[in-house]
Amino acid sequence: MTEQSNAQLNIQSNAQANARPNAQSNTKSNTQSIAQSNVQVDSQSKLVNEKIMIGLEIHAYLDTKSKLFCSCSTDDTMVEPNSLCCPVCLGHPGSKPVLNEKAVELATKIGLALNCTINKDFFFSRKTYFYPDMCSNYQITQYEIPIAEKGFVDLSEGKRIRIKRAHIEWDPAALIHPEGMGKSNYVLIDHNRSGFPLIEIVTEPDLESPAQAREFLGVLENILSYLSVLKPNTTMKADCNISINYGNRVEIKNVSGFSAAEKALSYELLRQRKEVSLGNIIEQQTRAFDADLGVTKELRKKETEDDYGYIFDPDLVKVNLPEEYVNEIKENLPELPNQKTKRYISEYGLPEFDSKILCSNFVLTKIFDEIVNTNKSIDKKISARILTREVMSVINHDSLDLNEVNIDPKEIVSLVELIVSGMVSDKNVKQSIINYISGDKSSPVDYLNKNNLLISKNIDLGLVVETILKNNQKAVDDYKSGNEKSLNFLAGLVMRETKGTASPQKVQELLKSKMN
Amino acid sequence: MKKEETVNFFVSEAKKDFRIVEENLHNVIEEVKFTQNKGLNYFEKFDEEFVLNQLKKLKENQEANLSGKLFGVPISVKDTICVKGLESTAGSKFLKGYVPVFDATVVSNVKKEGGIILGKTTQDEFGFGTFSTNTSRVPKNPFDNERSCGGSSGGGAGFCAITRNYHINIGESTGGSIAGPASFCGVAGFTPTYGRVSRYGLIDYANSLDKIGAIGRNIEDAALLLEVISGKDDNDSTNIGEKYVVDEAPVKKIGVIKELLDSADPEVKKIIQEKINELKKFFIVEEVSLPLNFNYSLPTYHIIASSEASTNLAKLSGLRYGVQGSVEGKHFDEYFSSIRSEEFSEEAKRRIILGTFARMSGFRNAYYLKSMRVRTKLIEEFNNLFKKYDLLISPTMPIISPKFSEISTLSPLQNYSTDLCTIPVNLAGLPHISINAGFSKNMPVGLMAVASHLNENKLYSFAKVMQ
Repeated sequence: MTEQSNAQLNIQSNAQANARPNAQSNTKSNTQSIAQSNVQVDSQSKLVNEKIMIGLEIHAYLDTKSKLFCSCSTDDTMVEPNSLCCPVCLGHPGSKPVLNEKAVELATKIGLALNCTINKDFFFSRKTYFYPDMCSNYQITQYEIPIAEKGFVDLSEGKRIRIKRAHIEWDPAALIHPEGMGKSNYVLIDHNRSGFPLIEIVTEPDLESPAQAREFLGVLENILSYLSVLKPNTTMKADCNISINYGNRVEIKNVSGFSAAEKALSYELLRQRKEVSLGNIIEQQTRAFDADLGVTKELRKKETEDDYGYIFDPDLVKVNLPEEYVNEIKENLPELPNQKTKRYISEYGLPEFDSKILCSNFVLTKIFDEIVNTNKSIDKKISARILTREVMSVINHDSLDLNEVNIDPKEIVSLVELIVSGMVSDKNVKQSIINYISGDKSSPVDYLNKNNLLISKNIDLGLVVETILKNNQKAVDDYKSGNEKSLNFLAGLVMRETKGTASPQKVQELLKSKMN
Repeated sequence: MKKEETVNFFVSEAKKDFRIVEENLHNVIEEVKFTQNKGLNYFEKFDEEFVLNQLKKLKENQEANLSGKLFGVPISVKDTICVKGLESTAGSKFLKGYVPVFDATVVSNVKKEGGIILGKTTQDEFGFGTFSTNTSRVPKNPFDNERSCGGSSGGGAGFCAITRNYHINIGESTGGSIAGPASFCGVAGFTPTYGRVSRYGLIDYANSLDKIGAIGRNIEDAALLLEVISGKDDNDSTNIGEKYVVDEAPVKKIGVIKELLDSADPEVKKIIQEKINELKKFFIVEEVSLPLNFNYSLPTYHIIASSEASTNLAKLSGLRYGVQGSVEGKHFDEYFSSIRSEEFSEEAKRRIILGTFARMSGFRNAYYLKSMRVRTKLIEEFNNLFKKYDLLISPTMPIISPKFSEISTLSPLQNYSTDLCTIPVNLAGLPHISINAGFSKNMPVGLMAVASHLNENKLYSFAKVMQ
């Protein structure tokens, strides 16, 4: 969508709003009209001279065995509600927190990987607010001095997003609305996750579009996957802040997942543009994103910043990370996406595009590395192509999670070897991968064998081609006199003869060379 | 001090004959019941069966406990310290019904050494007070029932003073809550260096100031209990892991804190001065000055203590423990506000409001953060004096215990000012004792001695000379 048409869209929706009596009070239909128009909006697009500023606060669970300040387990799979609790994570009077050092180690890793300065001396603070999910009505978090600050993350187009800070804090309980939010007249509180260690990563407002915000979240998650620091099977949540043309900032709380973040921001962008074009001032406020409707809704107005009355948590002592501790973590950081991308290009000669796609998915690079480890002399370009094109297209098409799909690198190695020897057509490679991931899951080579899709080693493709040429002199003549269609006809005959197992390119090449 | 009067003597005798344990405990139980019936209110919670069960267990496992330093000794515990299975309310009606599911570390330590937990002693609500009057069960001074036991560990000090049997009390001091009542009741109060004794299981008042310590009839008893409850504890991050072991340490030079002596009532000053003159036979005694502490410790203390207290008390919202109110038709905000309005005392509310104000954005720099910086300066002032002096001394309280009728006329500011002598040392986390120095109008007058960090044994040696 062009910038101009986008502007037209805005005017149109304003006209609609104005045409409706009491448009301002009729918020429901208002939001719907924007929601509908939202579908057509490319979140990348920008109005002329428009300044969009987006900043994110991302929360993710650190992968520790026990909670942040007590020894309760963090393994909450298949457990009863409120069974992973102790006096500390329930905030019982008299109980005291003791810091889990593993969380500090993981947070240090994250800080270093995000190019942050690590604050070797830091402490924890109490952030006081009353809410039923917070057992002590104060959250133990970091305020003045976070464990890490002043870093950056580079996006694909070279855009640099500054990281303001990353800090450690504990998670509140889960509030469970038995009949759905706003419908129950009571809530249940499950403290199993009370005290789970969270890392909060805060960006500067450097993101310039909802699509860029989404890309950032993907890049960030990928880095964190490389570090193996996140609790498995958990999603990152983001508080998304957005303002246009230096207007007031609106915060969309607790958005779960990348595409939801993009949608929430896109909606909010449109809503703010509309307000501005109506001559209204954007109010500083906190909004919630309704993922079902694709709209944001006002939660509360924010006249001023929240006042949490931070104090140093006097139950905890200052942490002092020795220089060697930080250096050791730094030296042992795994290879990160950007480094890996470069290495694949220089070491294996992968095309930049393929290398980037490969490295943007930690699981995929793990498979690729294992393939290379299995057979050092394997064709890396073909291996990469199989993973980035064939495997990922099935994964994306069927909306699968690569983590949950069992891909044996050895099977891919065997397949690549077949491809290199020219014994299989691209079409059949594709079929064998589809079957491997979404079909009966038999190995690609087995699949090709079982269905007679391999060019038998007994068949001499050259001989087949020569025979076909000899028996179809008219078509050969037609081709020589300039009829390209004859080439396809001849290729078809070869394919029929080889029962479709030959590589069409190879057949065409052979035909051409023998006729010339 | 006669050897026979110490708990150490009792323990060595009791190990030879268990009947001594039984007899002492039964006598103590009778005293508790007697004082409770007379409305002297030394105990917030006393459960005879809970006590006798421990006696029974100890009797059955005598052999295993024979090495216990507190074998068969009844130990009363300030209400703010959690005892598993015994209602622990910190003197607040808000925590009515809160029965901890765990023992405070100090309580487990006492049990390990064969001690018997006697019950929970009365105190000001959450430790907020100097006279143990900010609570529903106000303990009465054994020397004059019209007067206060002091606070906030008033019940423990009162019972130590009245009992004729062997017993020690676990007290707690934030701004003088051990020394103060020890002074008013004429007993020995021993407050350790901050971090010596684990705070795990202490219902917090102000975490960076709270110190669990001991109150006994004599310094030997208090020191014995302090040794038992001190030491490393991984459950308290602020614990410094240094066990206190009772021993003598040489004391040569003592500084008398001029400002504090001069601020005391003439009757108190006279008794302390007499005592100082006696001490000159044993020590070099000189006058010293602590101008920064004298001028700034009170506001600094109240800002820090209230800031911390106001977040600690945020926990209390009638949701998970203690009192529960009716939630029907109320938004959670309304419920929290209504139950907190009903259940906190006026003094608690005052400190919550003061503390919340001091840490609000816009004021946080001027009050909370500035106080934290001033605190460092105040500690430096003490440390400079400790380069020259082994101990510093002053009156513990500037007055003798006031009558309840007098207390009720005090403004909050006058009330807070009576802690003038004990606040500086508590703010600095310094170990200190209060030992009886004499009587005025038949009421005890305490002398406070302060040592540098971790030098409790200088206090012990000094107190033995005093006694």
